Amino acid sequence: MSLNDLLVNLNLIMPITILTAWACVLLLVDLFIPKERKGITALLAALGLLVALALVISRAGVATSAFNGMIMIDGFATFMSVIFLFSGLAGIAVAYDYLIRSGIERGEYYVLLLFSIVGMMLMAAAADLIMVFLALELLSIPLYVLAGIAVPRPDSEEAALKYFLLGAFASGFFLYGTALVYGATGSTALTEIVSATTSGGVNLSFLVIGAGLILVGLGFKVAVVPFHMWTPDVYQGAPSSVTAFMAVGAKAAGFAALLRIFVLAFPPLAMDLTPVLWALAAFTMIIGNVIAIAQRNIKRMLAYSSIAHAGYIMMALVPYGQGNVAADTVASALFYLLAYMLTSFAAWAVVIALEHNMGEGRDTDGLSLEDYSGLGQKQPALAAAMTVAMLSFIGIPPTLGFVGKFYLLRTVIEGGFPGLALIGLLTSLVSAYYYLRVVVYMYMRDGEPVVRREPWLYFTALATAVGVVVLSIFSEPLFNWASQAVLKLI
Amino acid sequence: MEYGLILEWIIKAVLMLLILLIGFAYTTYLERKVLARMQVRYGPNRAGPKGLLQPVADGVKLIFKEELIPAKADKLLFILAPVITVLPALTILAVVPFGGTVNLFGREITLSIAGDLNVGILYLTAVTSITVYGMVLAGWASNNKYAMMGGIRATAQVISYELALGLAFIGPILLASSMSVNEIVNAQGRMGWFFIYQPIGFIIFLIATLAEINRVPFDMPEAEQELVAGYHTEYSGMKFALFMMTEYIKMIVVAVLAATFFLGGYLGPFVDQVPWLGPVYLFIKVFILVFGIIWVRATWPRFRYDRLMAFGWKIMLPLAVLNVLLTGAFIILFPGVIR
Amino acid sequence: MLLEYLPIAVLLILALLLAGIVIALGHMFGPRHPTERKSMPYESGMRPIGPGTRRMPVHFYLVAVLFILFDIEVMFFLPWAVIYKKLGVFGLVEMLIFIAILGVGYVYVWKMGALEWE
Repeated sequence: MSLNDLLVNLNLIMPITILTAWACVLLLVDLFIPKERKGITALLAALGLLVALALVISRAGVATSAFNGMIMIDGFATFMSVIFLFSGLAGIAVAYDYLIRSGIERGEYYVLLLFSIVGMMLMAAAADLIMVFLALELLSIPLYVLAGIAVPRPDSEEAALKYFLLGAFASGFFLYGTALVYGATGSTALTEIVSATTSGGVNLSFLVIGAGLILVGLGFKVAVVPFHMWTPDVYQGAPSSVTAFMAVGAKAAGFAALLRIFVLAFPPLAMDLTPVLWALAAFTMIIGNVIAIAQRNIKRMLAYSSIAHAGYIMMALVPYGQGNVAADTVASALFYLLAYMLTSFAAWAVVIALEHNMGEGRDTDGLSLEDYSGLGQKQPALAAAMTVAMLSFIGIPPTLGFVGKFYLLRTVIEGGFPGLALIGLLTSLVSAYYYLRVVVYMYMRDGEPVVRREPWLYFTALATAVGVVVLSIFSEPLFNWASQAVLKLI
Repeated sequence: MEYGLILEWIIKAVLMLLILLIGFAYTTYLERKVLARMQVRYGPNRAGPKGLLQPVADGVKLIFKEELIPAKADKLLFILAPVITVLPALTILAVVPFGGTVNLFGREITLSIAGDLNVGILYLTAVTSITVYGMVLAGWASNNKYAMMGGIRATAQVISYELALGLAFIGPILLASSMSVNEIVNAQGRMGWFFIYQPIGFIIFLIATLAEINRVPFDMPEAEQELVAGYHTEYSGMKFALFMMTEYIKMIVVAVLAATFFLGGYLGPFVDQVPWLGPVYLFIKVFILVFGIIWVRATWPRFRYDRLMAFGWKIMLPLAVLNVLLTGAFIILFPGVIR
Repeated sequence: MLLEYLPIAVLLILALLLAGIVIALGHMFGPRHPTERKSMPYESGMRPIGPGTRRMPVHFYLVAVLFILFDIEVMFFLPWAVIYKKLGVFGLVEMLIFIAILGVGYVYVWKMGALEWE
């Protein structure tokens, strides 16, 4: 490598480079911003995200590989980067006021957010298992710190410690799987893995076990059963703005890695891995939805609902090995991730608006279902946003969630797994109970909800809710865009 | 695996240990004499002619001392700690070459135990780090809060300066393109002694190693006026002797390392023709450096602990990094000079 | 390659033997008359107050963690230094970027006061 090569490569991944440099400089700049003006850090962070977004969009349509094939900038990476950057912007918007009123306002929050997004973007573009690991650590470690940033609160510390310990273990599993795959195929690059497997002479048992361990490591990140145990406690304990960002970003990144690794590198192993994926998807959907019924705390309920949605996306991953369906797998998963991002932020923005510190005239913290009573009359806009979000989660038209689930189910049926599709449908039906329960509380009970009137929060809730409805009208072109983002072997 | 080779190793190891032991004994004597003369007094001159048997007397006295193990102290760790502290001091010099190759008993013998080890410097940094365990275990096992505090503070000091020390090693590696200590000495033969090319690095090395061995001006953790005697408060008899052994042997070791990395090691005039001159030159350089260390003890006051830590983190570390970058730039700008 | 380490192992064993002999000498020849006064932890002659081990200031933990971070950085310098002459300007620039990123962390740590008070 020479200096010229280095500069050319850095230029190829310019959005990631710029965002990294921006985050580093922002950390230094933040040291000199006085405590009362930390809003400037938020503004600068958002500016950085916008610059990165502009760069990503301006470079869309060009497929290149950088750093000797370790990073692949293609349509897939572009699509996912757009999702990550938007979730970053939404994350900053919902955090801005929440941090001030919770007394945890620190400039480092926004810097950590930026670093995590860099990790996510790298994860979507990684074409080598080592790069995936690097990106996994880069996106996880800021999230561990962010989960514990509300430090005087014990459940925040508990959430951070749990997340960190289990996350470190999962990274260990991932690394072990990578080692086994390397031992079996002699390379960690995804393209070389698949060519080594198809040309034969590979120790298949090592490869399958390695693939399984990689599935474990990434499955923890996206919270599929049985690696979901951390999700309710961490989602509940972490500050709500962090949870909102985590629920979308980390999940989407984990799925990006799963999709890329499995569709690119493990098609020959489909025979062994598909039953495993089937079982994972089925159990995740069932357990996520069923346990959510019993939750009274809205953060825990949304945590279990996110587990269930991981199950739905996993459902689409099941037929990845069949050549003609693989394209649909990726497209429908990407589409659903987009839908999930918008819906999730709508729901979480309303949750954050209702959450309040104990003792503000009430003796609850605004997070149980009863606190939503009467929202329909007192704050119709927020209630409408929440309703749209709930409907989208269930999958009722005219929301984006409906279209997303439709595409997911179609992929599964095309792949020849009608049983799994049936489970998906039934569990969606079951989920209607706890989602609609929130709507019932909002509109058909009376109460005095304490709501925080904050412009950015309102804006996020309404914008995402509107997006969910409006984009569902334009779902066809969106899905085509997602289809073009299908991975090709470069 | 020929027996001759194994015998050669054993003899070299025994010789080195003997040299280190005798060196330790007479370094204590040298220190007491030099300090005394600098303070206008005589120093030990009773035991034997000119006090030369003083170290022997001290050793015998320590053997016959009562060994107290405090109540409720962790017995195993209490006995193990001085051993853990002294082992690295004795084994660091395995990778340092004391001379070229000599011809003895019909064999070619290199005057070093493992000088050709291609990760020699990594071995050095690794082994020096083990001393930290001994210090903190000694403090912990004594069941004495002053010893514990002393142990932790000594540990914090040592690891803070270990960063600058590691970075000071990088300079010679850059110049010689190898981590093998033998290779570094050979490179100095080709290019000239490294302290010409690495003046800042040399000074950083000397300061960092002074802090590593807890000598003045960095001996706060064990100064008599502070914290009683730091982590070896509760030690008596031969275990205490082991701690003293560590300190003085490390003094010698540090001088040998400084001489090897920056002052040409065993190189000097006519060393190719007469290989036995190698150890002699090394001895001279080491003697001068050890004298310098003792001189520093006689002259300078000690740092206050917080200033010591601030110095290590805020001045030494950035300076050491700067030194590495400067050396790197120098190598690129003057490729002919560095061969 | 393992053969190169064997002399070091020999030295280590002999050094262990030496340390063992030293301690054994002390045990053999030293008198043993423990009394209650002599076995108490030393606190300048008075009866010790409080337990022998208490909690240490958490600042030491911070120093240790920072040491680990910067020591890993130093470890990365080692292989870079060995092949530096072959890398040329690219090597220097690469290391400058590495140091710059770590420098950001270092400045942050300095400004936040983690390097103070001890």
